Amino acid sequence: MKRRAWPLIGILAFGYAFLYVPILLLILYSFNESRLVTVWSGFSFKWYGALLHNHQLLDAAWLSIRIAATNATVAMVMGTLAANALVRHGRFRGRTGFELLLTAPLVMPDVIIGLSLLLLFVAMQQLIGWPTGRGFTTITIAHVTFSMAYVAVVVRSRLGQMDASLEEAAMDLGARPLGVYMRITLPLIAPALLSGWLLAFTLSLDDLVIASFVSGPGATTLPMVVYSSVRMGVSPQINALATLIVAVVALAVVIAGISLGRKPGR
Amino acid sequence: MAVTTDRRLLEPWQDPKAPPYLRIDRVTKRFGDLYAVDDVSLNIFKGEFFSLLGSSGCGKSTLLRLLAGFEYPTSGRIFIDGVDVTDVPPYSRPVNMMFQSYALFPHMTVEQNVEFGLKQDRIPKKERQERVGEMLDLLKITELRKRRPDQLSGGQRQRVALARSLAKHPKLLLLDEPLGALDKRLRESTQFELVNLQERLGITFVTVTHDQEEAMTMSTRIAVMDAGQIMQVDTPTAIYEFPNCRFTAEFIGSVNLFEGKVIEREADQVLIEAHHGGTLRMRSFHPHPLGTPVTVAIRPEKMRLSEAPSPDGVNQLRGIVEDIAYLGDVSIYRIRSNGGQLVEMTLTNHQPRTEQALTWEQAVSVEWSPTSGVVLTE
Repeated sequence: MKRRAWPLIGILAFGYAFLYVPILLLILYSFNESRLVTVWSGFSFKWYGALLHNHQLLDAAWLSIRIAATNATVAMVMGTLAANALVRHGRFRGRTGFELLLTAPLVMPDVIIGLSLLLLFVAMQQLIGWPTGRGFTTITIAHVTFSMAYVAVVVRSRLGQMDASLEEAAMDLGARPLGVYMRITLPLIAPALLSGWLLAFTLSLDDLVIASFVSGPGATTLPMVVYSSVRMGVSPQINALATLIVAVVALAVVIAGISLGRKPGR
Repeated sequence: MAVTTDRRLLEPWQDPKAPPYLRIDRVTKRFGDLYAVDDVSLNIFKGEFFSLLGSSGCGKSTLLRLLAGFEYPTSGRIFIDGVDVTDVPPYSRPVNMMFQSYALFPHMTVEQNVEFGLKQDRIPKKERQERVGEMLDLLKITELRKRRPDQLSGGQRQRVALARSLAKHPKLLLLDEPLGALDKRLRESTQFELVNLQERLGITFVTVTHDQEEAMTMSTRIAVMDAGQIMQVDTPTAIYEFPNCRFTAEFIGSVNLFEGKVIEREADQVLIEAHHGGTLRMRSFHPHPLGTPVTVAIRPEKMRLSEAPSPDGVNQLRGIVEDIAYLGDVSIYRIRSNGGQLVEMTLTNHQPRTEQALTWEQAVSVEWSPTSGVVLTE
């Protein structure tokens, strides 16, 4: 028994190492004294200090967070509406087409999404004068188009698992359709909404390809800044920023886990 | 005279002038090509415990959902207490339903579940709490008030569901397989409790069940359904003793059917020539013309079994014992008649099994009196 367990533990350790050692190294080197990312020369917070004065990086981070939050919120609402239509409204006309179009962005290459949206925005600007230029608005719209699909998938599976007679029971007890939705359906699918929101937020924060297509001058997202600065050599400031983001994400995951885990039932 | 009055109070369906409390008037529900409910008319009276009985897919659940308002009929009208509710949405109907899955709201406590309906009616908080307290008391679940549905047993959930559906004092309570999810022992005790509760509250109950025993014990009347249609509506006794068609006779309990045709009529009896041989004499109030193909239906416990035919007996069938199933209180005998038909009968084991004389392959005679069964034309 024990002899057979060792190789398994080894594989597990390798798997975890493969996933997390790079992140740990990245965090470690954010406290490095040296300017070179690969050489350790002593412990220091100086890159965190430098980060505070690096307006280009901070502005990009703030823009990315604003885009990600707006995107996540809009995608959550629209994805939930789409999931509702698919689960609750039976076989309406054009359902198959709707489902196909909704989930297409999941498999569509980013390059194609980015390019097609860029062409659309340019054409729209010429035809109706909106959106004027490219930046926050266009990136957010672009991100919503694909994040919405992810939210719809998550919410849809939750809605599908929900016992439809719960809604009927609420209606039977005198609740009108809107009341049923607010008091029964929403509280029960709330965990899916939250995970959908987080998923959309992460997807948007991550995205480099699509944002590069549809952004304009003056609207540079964090991944774009990081990517372009890496080409000129990585500054440990980016390590510092990444460490902060990892910390915030870890905190959010822990909080979400605790608050969802406390709620009994499904 | 006093007796008839009493009877009318207890059995309002006997009184042609009694107004029905729930009137289903030629209701049809079609899903595509399928007639889930096919031209059903039904009168149910105040205070009844009415059961819709049938196998799965017979349309009984659809009929219940039509009453609750979750489905709207393709044609026909539904009246509750004289008001046409056919187009009234479920949230405005004076009807509540107990779901088969109970459908308790998992994110609410027992108390909040029961209170939900009262809240929708904007009843003031004080009165709401009183009514919730009453309901929890009535169903003896007061100590569970702070629990959530996933912390309850099946029986407790059933009580909460019942409390929730009764809290609004509906004119009609619909119960979808109310005992379906309970184990056998709990089911039996709950049956009596449900009947007592219904009698105390005086609320009209309409329940859907596939379990004939359940329907027999609880109901004032039963409607037997098949393929979207109602085959027979009557009291449990009448349904069992006087089924009006082969379907009902075979669906409720076991029955022996002898096919034949009418060869003679006298007063209230008919003589029937059975296809498997022999002449049967049965009581029948229907004026069957000579030659009518009929089926004689006899319940297994209404027959006598003897080793030799009695000299003056009518309806005698000779055969041999093919099978004996000993069930403790009763034994089921399968007898192959000389005409080749298999007859099933039930005998109470008055004597210990070891004392009984009948055994396999023994020649016996099966007999019954003309009033022990019914003559069916279809």
